[in-house]
Amino acid sequence: MPERSLLERLIARPELGPLVLLILEIGVFWAINPDFLSPQNIANTLAFTVELGLIALSMTLLMTSGEFDLSVGSLFGFAPVLMWTLFNAGATSLEIAFVIAVVVAALIGLVNGLFVTRLKIPSFLVTLGMLLVVRGTALFITDGFPQRTWSAEGQWLAETLVGDFQLGPFRLYMSLFWFAAAALILGYILTQTRAGNWIQASGGNPAAALARGVNVTGTKIRLFMLSATMAAFAGIISSIRTSAANPNSGTGYELEVIAMVVIGGTALSGGRGTIIGTVLGVFILRVMRNGIVLIGVPGLAYNIFIGVIILGMMALHSWLERRHHAGT
Amino acid sequence: MQAPEAMAEPLIRMAQISKSYGNVQALQDVDFEVREREIVGLLGDNGAGKSTLIKVLSGAVRATSGKIYIRGQQVEIRNTTDAIAHGIETIYQDSALVTQLSIARNLFLGREPIMAPGFLNRMDQAAMATVARDLLRQVGIEKNIPPDTPISALSGGERQAVAIARAMHFDSDLIILDEPTNNLGVAETQGVLRFVRSARDSGHSCIFIAHNIHHVFQVVDRIVVMRRGRVVADAIDPRQTSVEAVEQVITGMAHAPASAPARPG
Ligand SMILES: Nc1ncnc2c1ncn2[C@@H]1O[C@H](COP(=O)(O)OP(=O)(O)O)[C@@H](O)[C@H]1O
Ligand SMILES: [Mg+2]
Repeated sequence: MPERSLLERLIARPELGPLVLLILEIGVFWAINPDFLSPQNIANTLAFTVELGLIALSMTLLMTSGEFDLSVGSLFGFAPVLMWTLFNAGATSLEIAFVIAVVVAALIGLVNGLFVTRLKIPSFLVTLGMLLVVRGTALFITDGFPQRTWSAEGQWLAETLVGDFQLGPFRLYMSLFWFAAAALILGYILTQTRAGNWIQASGGNPAAALARGVNVTGTKIRLFMLSATMAAFAGIISSIRTSAANPNSGTGYELEVIAMVVIGGTALSGGRGTIIGTVLGVFILRVMRNGIVLIGVPGLAYNIFIGVIILGMMALHSWLERRHHAGT
Repeated sequence: MQAPEAMAEPLIRMAQISKSYGNVQALQDVDFEVREREIVGLLGDNGAGKSTLIKVLSGAVRATSGKIYIRGQQVEIRNTTDAIAHGIETIYQDSALVTQLSIARNLFLGREPIMAPGFLNRMDQAAMATVARDLLRQVGIEKNIPPDTPISALSGGERQAVAIARAMHFDSDLIILDEPTNNLGVAETQGVLRFVRSARDSGHSCIFIAHNIHHVFQVVDRIVVMRRGRVVADAIDPRQTSVEAVEQVITGMAHAPASAPARPG
């Protein structure tokens, strides 16, 4: 097996399929409606994208370690509700309320992790239960009503999280930089560090990893905490941007996020994950949502397209996988 | 009074080990030792209990009764992590490797070298690749396989070689090889045999189980024969015994040759 050429290496990468799909998608929408690439539409798409994207990034690491988290959508709704309830009641400053919301989310992630690793309950069941507990709590403490958020205006915390600014023709939100920073750091952790090696080994062959002294339990618990924290962070950003903390927001996000991650090439069964692929998967789904509305397809048809993309990409990944191993 | 020589503790001593699976008695009152820098060949027909014996030692199964001593100290080996912590490394076909990870990442799993001025424990991947290339050559892989190749793209023999390379690099006191030459090509088999021989020189002990009795004769210091869950001969010197004589002990057609008075080591 001689060293492979650059082109062969590129073709063997799992990110190539999603990249081609994204380019095709953008090309088609642009050909049908040139407004698709207008600065305003690009800025709009980016703003929505990064909030789900943040959750997808941490979900990528969690799924690489062989677990997943269905409670992210409910935390997306719950964390801002908690933060604004504390603040509006005059109990704490906005900063303290923010810290409390994020810490509570991390503790919820810890509970998920402990149930999965110590009690050996599949993450599907644990996080499904947690989804109901967290969503139910958000509805209970608000009586189902949205919380006031307009007092965020002028708060430095709000500016840091979602403040917008003009870059040439684009009106961009700060959250885009949080997304870029998270993608860079998590991508670095997954591919370059010891923690990344342990994440992949924990998902690939936990028994072998354990036998080599890898802390599989600790690795997974930390990723559950990261996942919950990111979901809370994304929910808070979204609440400030849309000036609404709705206890129902984030419903169904867990499945959309998992779809983004697997479309990008991360294995649902664990062991293999790619942050670059997830970034592409995030854009594929968000561009699709934005594009079909723009070219006049009824928005209700969105799920048909998403389903077809998921099925098509899964078929492609499995075909590449088999072709890759055919020679051995 | 015993001579100090005779008092030297063996590296591993298993005493009165029994193991039953339901009503199958896989091991019955087995006594077995491995001395420092000794290569022990373990022979016996299929089902004799060889794999079960070494699985007890490597933490893969727990004995029904019996004791294990390492350098005279009694130890509990409850799982593979315990065994590795006691310096016992076992090489199975591929269950010990993460197939999604590359060769280099598997070699260093759990003991990754970290870059000195690094961020968040960055691995020194250049050093990992260099060591991996070197080790693969030592275990007889002549083909130039890049160290970033995933294990899933390797043949059974190549996977075996990676597992052996790992045991070599991280000095274990005892390396257990259960039929390591099955499914291997000629060059790979020679690599394994060469490795077993060099293991003694670098201070390791080895338990070597193989179907091919000639391979065992080529490398071991002492042969132990098992039959139906019991040790029936434990001091056969391959330099003073013929292959045919050992075959007869294995099949039970002859009694074990009298224990050689002078044991190697
Ligand atoms: N997991 C198991 N369950 C039941 N019986 C087993 C199991 N493993 C081994 N045995 C039995 O124990 C005996 C010894 O097997 P083994 O140690 O694998 O022999 P060897 O490696 O010498 O061929 C055999 O009779 C085998 O059928
Ligand atoms: Mg066997």
